[in-house]
Amino acid sequence: MASSVAQKRLFHEYKNLSTNPPEGITAGPVSEDDMFYWEALIEGPGGTPFEGGVFAAELKFPKDYPLSPPTMKFVGGGVWHPNVYPNGTVCISILHPPGDDPNHYEHASERWSPIQSVEKILISVMSMLAEPNDESPANVEAAKMWRERRAEYEQKVRDEVRKGLGL
Amino acid sequence: MEQSFDLPDSTDWLDTPLSLLAPLESSLRCQVCKDFFDTPVITSCSHTFCSLCIRRCLSTEGKCPTCRSGDQELKLRRNWLVQEILEAFKNARKSALTLARKEAARIAAGGDEDPEPAPKKRKVSQVDHSEAPEVNPHSPQRVRTRSRSQMAQSQADGQDRNQASSVQEVIEDSQDEDFVPDDGMVACPICNRRMKNEAVFAHLDKCTGNTGSAPKPAPAKQKSFGSLQPHARQTPISPSKAPERLPAINYSLLKDNQLRRKFRDLGIPDWGPRQLLQRRHIEWMNLWNANCDSTSPRTKKELLRELDIWERTQGGIATAQSSLVPTNTVMAKDFDAAQWSVSHDNDFKRLIANARKKSDAQVRSTIPGAAQAAESNSTAVDSSAQLASGVEKGTPIEINSDPPGPSDMSG
Repeated sequence: MASSVAQKRLFHEYKNLSTNPPEGITAGPVSEDDMFYWEALIEGPGGTPFEGGVFAAELKFPKDYPLSPPTMKFVGGGVWHPNVYPNGTVCISILHPPGDDPNHYEHASERWSPIQSVEKILISVMSMLAEPNDESPANVEAAKMWRERRAEYEQKVRDEVRKGLGL
Repeated sequence: MEQSFDLPDSTDWLDTPLSLLAPLESSLRCQVCKDFFDTPVITSCSHTFCSLCIRRCLSTEGKCPTCRSGDQELKLRRNWLVQEILEAFKNARKSALTLARKEAARIAAGGDEDPEPAPKKRKVSQVDHSEAPEVNPHSPQRVRTRSRSQMAQSQADGQDRNQASSVQEVIEDSQDEDFVPDDGMVACPICNRRMKNEAVFAHLDKCTGNTGSAPKPAPAKQKSFGSLQPHARQTPISPSKAPERLPAINYSLLKDNQLRRKFRDLGIPDWGPRQLLQRRHIEWMNLWNANCDSTSPRTKKELLRELDIWERTQGGIATAQSSLVPTNTVMAKDFDAAQWSVSHDNDFKRLIANARKKSDAQVRSTIPGAAQAAESNSTAVDSSAQLASGVEKGTPIEINSDPPGPSDMSG
């Protein structure tokens, strides 16, 4: 069967990520029958409360990828973070299409464009873990805690990480 | 599984001594589709993309994907130089990669030492080394790329080429105007045939000027440099020959019927709700106009096939993998009428037989004494039945061109 533009491009990204993976990141389609559904593993960045953790996420790609961005959601236990919804969905500017910016806080240059890639998304998410953006929090509780009670926030994140590792 | 890893990619160079070629290759790839540029065009903001990729981006967003400055399709200009560089790179890629991988394997196997003894070939060591892959234990599959690697070597180093080929192929070097073989003979000034000094005058008396078996310089030379020439100087087709570009339609000015009529004029499917029609037209316009940019334009039939792929992946038939649902197969755009009629041949025959029996019975029962007439008529019935079945077989498209129910139209 002839494959679509999106499938070809996803194959390219997959190959690129498997031959030359960025540090702390693994990603690929769950099954090669469906290139539009990926799983990714991200290591918690060093020097942050997330250090030592491994976070699994699923990526869903639209049919008109790369014109539209994928969605990303952490699976298996929530990630306590101002920019991650309690259900795991990641809220980060690179995943937002340039057209809609209801909050008017993101620069167009930070948002999705067809030249972005899975690799760039995952790297952005990694740095988001290290440096939350509390201007438009997805998890208000976490944002509040991060702003007002930093020590408690960090402890909670460390506990979550330890729980995630089964310790 | 394999499919993804057969895909040529810039990371192919990373584990070889030529890892510095990886960034070169990435810069020859379109940042939108990640493939090598197909008909590269440059935007007003000086970013280069495949013609089709940037058209798709501009038609959805109107902005350059790299710098997000606004741009219009009309301002795109072809980027011939990038295309030429790309063609040259693509030509050299396979052989260069083969060599680089071989070298990587050799280094991995034992540093700089030769993996196999090749005493006879010492004289022209480096070149011949790469030409004897059948002895190389690391790469049994390299044999078929032998001539290519030889070519690459000669392209990479003209000096070596002359040396190497003087060993293998005397003919080629005798083409060289400055080259005089050291064989103690002289060439006839008319026919170029080589002979002993004292035989020349006798020969000149009867020389017809026919070069006979003497090698002809031009073609042989052409051959040895063949791979370098045609791609560098491939001139673009004249714009007058190119098919005409499609203008944008102001959809709001057209009623549904007018729009559908326009689609029929263009020769593209005219079914579906209005929004789908617009999306289809934009895709068709992008495909068509990108094709106008191409040095080797494809036929309309091929473009229609592309549109069909779009229809199945993003257009009206793009409900998630629904083409696999059996009830939908007849509706699918890729429905193979010929194969369907072959696999259902028995059913068709049975239906025809039934129909014939029924009509025979009818004739017998309604017209007394017309049995014989029916008998003689049966041949006519037969042929008409066949005709009917032929029509049936030939045109399941009829079913296709019916618009699918609203539930099928996701979007």
